Amino acid sequence: MFPWNYGFHFGIASYIFLGAFYTVLVVVVTTLLNAFWRAHRDLSKGKAEDIRWHSDFHDLPAADRTCRHVLTGEFKSRECVRAFDCRECETHAKLVALHPPAAAAEDEIFGMSFPLDRMYHRGHTWARPEVDGTVTVGLDELGTRLLGTPDAVDLPGPGSRIRANGTAFRVHRREADVRVLSPIDGEVIETGGVDRGYFLRVKPLTESFDMRHLLRGAEVKPWMMRELERLQLALTMEGATVPSLADGGVPVSDIAAAYPKTDWDAVCGEMFLEP
Amino acid sequence: MAREMAFITRGVRRCSTPRFLLWLTPWVALLLFGAYCAGLCLVKGLNQTNMDNRYAFGLWIFVDLTIIALGAGAFFTGFLLYILKFKELKAVINSAVVIGVVCYSGAMCALMVDVGQPLRAWFTFWYPNVHSMLTEVTFCISCYLTVLLIEYLPILLKNRKLREVPAFLVFEFELHKLIYVLAGVGTFLSFFHQGSLGGLYGVLRGRPFAFREGILVWPSTFFLFIISAAAVGPSFLIFTTWLVETITGKRLAKDRVFDLLARISGILLSVYVLAKSVDTLIWINRTSPSLGFAASQYYDWKPFGTWILFAEIVLCGLVPALILLTPRLRARRGWLIPAAALACCGIALNRYVQTVQTLALPTLSFDRFLSYTPSWQETGTFLGVLAYGVLVYSFSFRYFQIFPEERELKIEVRPQQEEPALAGRF
Repeated sequence: MFPWNYGFHFGIASYIFLGAFYTVLVVVVTTLLNAFWRAHRDLSKGKAEDIRWHSDFHDLPAADRTCRHVLTGEFKSRECVRAFDCRECETHAKLVALHPPAAAAEDEIFGMSFPLDRMYHRGHTWARPEVDGTVTVGLDELGTRLLGTPDAVDLPGPGSRIRANGTAFRVHRREADVRVLSPIDGEVIETGGVDRGYFLRVKPLTESFDMRHLLRGAEVKPWMMRELERLQLALTMEGATVPSLADGGVPVSDIAAAYPKTDWDAVCGEMFLEP
Repeated sequence: MAREMAFITRGVRRCSTPRFLLWLTPWVALLLFGAYCAGLCLVKGLNQTNMDNRYAFGLWIFVDLTIIALGAGAFFTGFLLYILKFKELKAVINSAVVIGVVCYSGAMCALMVDVGQPLRAWFTFWYPNVHSMLTEVTFCISCYLTVLLIEYLPILLKNRKLREVPAFLVFEFELHKLIYVLAGVGTFLSFFHQGSLGGLYGVLRGRPFAFREGILVWPSTFFLFIISAAAVGPSFLIFTTWLVETITGKRLAKDRVFDLLARISGILLSVYVLAKSVDTLIWINRTSPSLGFAASQYYDWKPFGTWILFAEIVLCGLVPALILLTPRLRARRGWLIPAAALACCGIALNRYVQTVQTLALPTLSFDRFLSYTPSWQETGTFLGVLAYGVLVYSFSFRYFQIFPEERELKIEVRPQQEEPALAGRF
């Protein structure tokens, strides 16, 4: 094993065998230490929430990772490679420069209200800029109907920081324990609740905060159509009998209550992008 | 109980806790019995077994060789996925790693009992005989088991509850990014120890039945063991996935994954059958006669007739290879699963022949034909290893995401529930 061991002989076989063995050992130990060091660096830089989202995004089915420009028909198929953060996406910037998103014609989509004064995150939250420079964050109408009246809501305390695509807050309903994604980066200055119509008031971290990654105007309707299809599929996967689009009607106000036997944790995980 | 269920991956269905405990009970009992048998062997010595100085390799070594060959799916699937980028194999890589951990750790346990004197186990590493293939095997298996355990970490840390801890989540993420390095190291180690296990027999000049010629210091069995392990690894993965599907009543991997594994296994099995046939012909016509034995003499000792050669090369080699290479046949489970099982049996038979038949046959004029039946302590230890494997796999399947496509495939097997009609559209 080592030159100082009893019975050790220097020779070509020793060099080859022990050389190969020690090389393997060094590679394995270095890899492990490298992973430890990177993990330590990420934790100290507060990247855990980013990593959680990237890991979740990676585990989403390919159909759920579709680029927003597929929803609007600009691409036939394209997978988002930036984990729904269009702020750094060159393709998005080019397409927006060519065809700026049109304003929506109406604020009601399939019987649900999607006010035009706010922008929507694909994890079913919205962000509304206020006149005082803060941003209000809430659950969109489909998200609200999915969770109905929550059993509990875990909101971050005032002063805590949230990141776009990181956890904004958690909602519990029946067996579902859902983390809801934040649409923006910022510092929480006030918390709301279901009865107040919003969940968080956030002070953006910079003066000119960027909301290019959020859906707006005419983008919302095709996205919502896709979301209803996803919901239909998610319910079917959990064994529920789901009416087809041709049956008409609108989503009920408390979808969870309408499907008491369905694994609601799985349905919410699918819809709130938490695989 | 609800707390225990919170550890289960979102969107997959698992049986209730009492039912799971009921499933575990007989295996735990078997594991305890195995531990008792192993304890007897370790405390009282190898006189508890039916092995002796002449019959030094028995059930345990046969089992070790077989499960290490079957566990080769771990290194080979990792190599195909992370190095050659066969992306479809993502669907079974976690299962392959769990099988690898089970097989290699099980083999190490059996070896420890076989070698005995656990307090001196470190001697192997501290005073290695670098000219011995057994030393290479010991080092490679120990290193590869370490690599497999590191590869198992991301599977474990990806558990729904564990990943709520930021440190676990971040470490798993970073380790997974480096997993290709471990896959490469695993391939290197597996390549050598599978070969060295074969080489162990090929260099036995005093045992003409096992002795083979080769290239430089490597007898032909070195290469045959590598090819056969790589060929049968995917087949064992097919078989275990099907077995788990049957036991749990769920679909776990898409047909295209089975098809790809079958194709890979079929191609490699064909190469193995060809190489084995050439090797056997050279051995019959040149190697064995040059050592003073006509090959037919080995098959005069019943029950080791020529049927065993036919079963090994044709029935469990050529036949499954042809089935796995035929698209129409491998597309049907009725053909695919028996073919995969036959391939696994073929490799087990090969390892049995190498271990048991080699030692049973007389080589010197005063030798006699030996027979060996494992003692209940040996059998008990083997059953303990089997129970250990089932337990580790059962826990892994219940709490970790072993088959990422499981949720997606649920829709195809789940009967629809009756729901009240109060839902509007949804």
